[in-house]
Amino acid sequence: MFHWLEQRPFFFAVGVFLVIAFAGLIEIVPDFAQASRPIAGKQPYTLLQLAGRHVYIKDSCNACHSQLIRPFKSETDRYGPYSVSGEYAYDRPFLWGSKRTGPDLHRVGEYRTTDWHENHMWEPTSVVPGSIMPAYKHMFTQNADLETAYAEALTVKKVFNVPYDKPGFTKLGSWEEAKKQALEDAKKIAAEMKNQDVKDAVARGEIPEIVALIAYLNGLH
Amino acid sequence: MQNAALEYDYTVAKWFTYLAIIFGIVGMVIGTYIAFELAFPGLNEVFGQYGTFSRLRPLHTNVVAFGFTLSGIFATFYYVGQRTLKVSIAESKFVHGVAKLHFWLYFLLAALMVVSELMGITTSKEYAEMEWPLDVMTVVVWVLWGMAMFGLIGMRREKTLYISMWYYIATFLGVAMLYLFNNMEVPTYLVTGMGKWYHSVSMYAGTNDALVQWWYGHNAVAFVFTVPIIAMIYYYLPKESGQPVFSYKLSLLSFWGLMFVYLWAGSHHLIYSTVPDWMQTMGSIFSVVLILPSWGSAINMLLTMKGEWNQLKESPLIKFMVLASTFYMLSTLEGPIQSIKSVNALAHFTDWIPGHVHDGTLGWVAFMIIAGTLHMAPRFYKREIYSKKLMEMQFWIQTTGIVLYFSSMWIAGITQGMMWRAVDQYGNLAYSFIDTVTVLHPYYTIRAIGGTLFVTGLLMWAYNFYKTMTSDKVLDKEPAFASPMGA
Amino acid sequence: MEAIREWQAYAYFFLTVFLVVMLYGYILHLYRAEKKGTRDYEKYGKLALDDELTDAPVELNEARENEKNENKEQS
Repeated sequence: MFHWLEQRPFFFAVGVFLVIAFAGLIEIVPDFAQASRPIAGKQPYTLLQLAGRHVYIKDSCNACHSQLIRPFKSETDRYGPYSVSGEYAYDRPFLWGSKRTGPDLHRVGEYRTTDWHENHMWEPTSVVPGSIMPAYKHMFTQNADLETAYAEALTVKKVFNVPYDKPGFTKLGSWEEAKKQALEDAKKIAAEMKNQDVKDAVARGEIPEIVALIAYLNGLH
Repeated sequence: MQNAALEYDYTVAKWFTYLAIIFGIVGMVIGTYIAFELAFPGLNEVFGQYGTFSRLRPLHTNVVAFGFTLSGIFATFYYVGQRTLKVSIAESKFVHGVAKLHFWLYFLLAALMVVSELMGITTSKEYAEMEWPLDVMTVVVWVLWGMAMFGLIGMRREKTLYISMWYYIATFLGVAMLYLFNNMEVPTYLVTGMGKWYHSVSMYAGTNDALVQWWYGHNAVAFVFTVPIIAMIYYYLPKESGQPVFSYKLSLLSFWGLMFVYLWAGSHHLIYSTVPDWMQTMGSIFSVVLILPSWGSAINMLLTMKGEWNQLKESPLIKFMVLASTFYMLSTLEGPIQSIKSVNALAHFTDWIPGHVHDGTLGWVAFMIIAGTLHMAPRFYKREIYSKKLMEMQFWIQTTGIVLYFSSMWIAGITQGMMWRAVDQYGNLAYSFIDTVTVLHPYYTIRAIGGTLFVTGLLMWAYNFYKTMTSDKVLDKEPAFASPMGA
Repeated sequence: MEAIREWQAYAYFFLTVFLVVMLYGYILHLYRAEKKGTRDYEKYGKLALDDELTDAPVELNEARENEKNENKEQS
């Protein structure tokens, strides 16, 4: 039977395809609807947070930090309540990571402050002696890309029905409204920071990457 | 025209071999550099934002997986494909043209991939970091490969496809399916007309995204690091040793067994995550079942050498291949062990995982590609391999490198996993996270040294290959089995 | 949702059983065929060794030869 296939490349290819596609069909498809439901009260990211998420992705923070707390006492003691599926409903892409060279960040917003992040991103060993994390000084001078973040938010609103602007959910609005709101959020964060260049930039109406990133990290609960 | 002796045409195979050597060195130099960064964090600042561990880590994985390994796969395919089908690619101008186009587009794609990842343009999904324009290009490259493959098969003289061809076909189909589904994304510029034109957002969210990603991620390992490498060993080991494969029947069974089982195992990356329990359990069980077909192939290879073990002593090429299949057995045993739920609870997120990956990729994948290219060199250039001694040295240096790598990562991973869960007499966590980082410094250093040794071996490989090309020891005809080597 | 899950479980179970039966049946078939002498599988192992263009194929691909002859007739 298989020998017959080896002499007929077309049917051979069909056979291989059926055998390998089988697993995906059974494993993945049926749970899709179930797993995409958000938990009650879960809010989509604000524009500033989303821009911060892009910074997180750009510098591959997920190469060393997970965002997935497993249901063990040693993990819940260290990082907080274990993660549940519905918390990730608005995460595109997911950022669970696969390696903890540094600690988990899924609930980092619960126990770190703007001030801590500022010091840590500028010089990690200043707050965590012995840290092997690189310094990310360039985030203090480069600006976050708010427009792309807005494009993404609008896309998921239109294409995937993410509940932006629905009653009781995060407001997105038009590009002008969204930009204004993001700048206001950024000002609140800059007020708690001490880096003068960052403060000046925000006062000028710019949003340095670090501000967006901190907004994102503070929003991780 | 008919009477001019027909010969195999190795043009495209040669080109891909050069790329494999270049990307191998580039990818592993980056890898070694970031290994040193973990041991000596000051190195992160040398190249500004372009040199941090986090920016370079995806670049390392992509260059070795999709630069080095894929080049090696394509190079060997354009060689093994012609020979086992008994057809010269030059017999059809069209197929030959497609193969050349395949090479150049692939080269361009790989170059763009390197640049875009240095700039931080990434989707963040592991081994699928490229943004949508490059994804589209990948599809084109892949289709071209398929056209060349089936074009070659269409004009074959040999009716039966050899074992290696089954595995190449499976690689083609498997990667095509996985890649398409995992990279489903919506380009945001096309929807809104705003922002960066190359940005996209994943079609799946959260847990679903994770599920699809690891269905892909695990199987990308299957169809890039396992299946095509098995294709290589089924050809090069019998050919180099002059021994037909031990059991053709066993190879049939392992092939179909592997095809069926491998895809199920993907969810072992998500044990204790938020995907449904039954799926985690299945991932775990199938990972253990996977030992059977994997070992089927490996044992088949070792038994092919039955009664010919003296060759192991005499030929460094045989050494490379026999050690490769041994490492294959090791990592296909280690993987399932790590998938057992209780072991996974300890091992997941630790350095044991990169340790496991590297004894597969360095010991199995890289060794097979090195052996394949060195076997092809005398056939490419009709010259004997420049130096056997250099090859012997390369073998031992690289083997030492791998051993340093995985032994240090085993210890590091288990230490880290134990410390994360350690509690004092009152049940409080015994260590803060940073304690579990600083304790790893010696192991990170040993790992980086192991990497350095491996890269040294690669340089010897490149040198040996280059000297073979330009050597004056011309052979009057293609060697049948064992490759001739100079002292 | 429940219906889908049930369907999923049945499909999974029966397909797995089916494939296992197929696999073992196939092993049996392979060894029987060779014992009876109707087939010799191991000769295909030679494919990797005798792979010069001038070596005779284990089995000629007739489709190719037919096509060639047709071409010759046309030209």
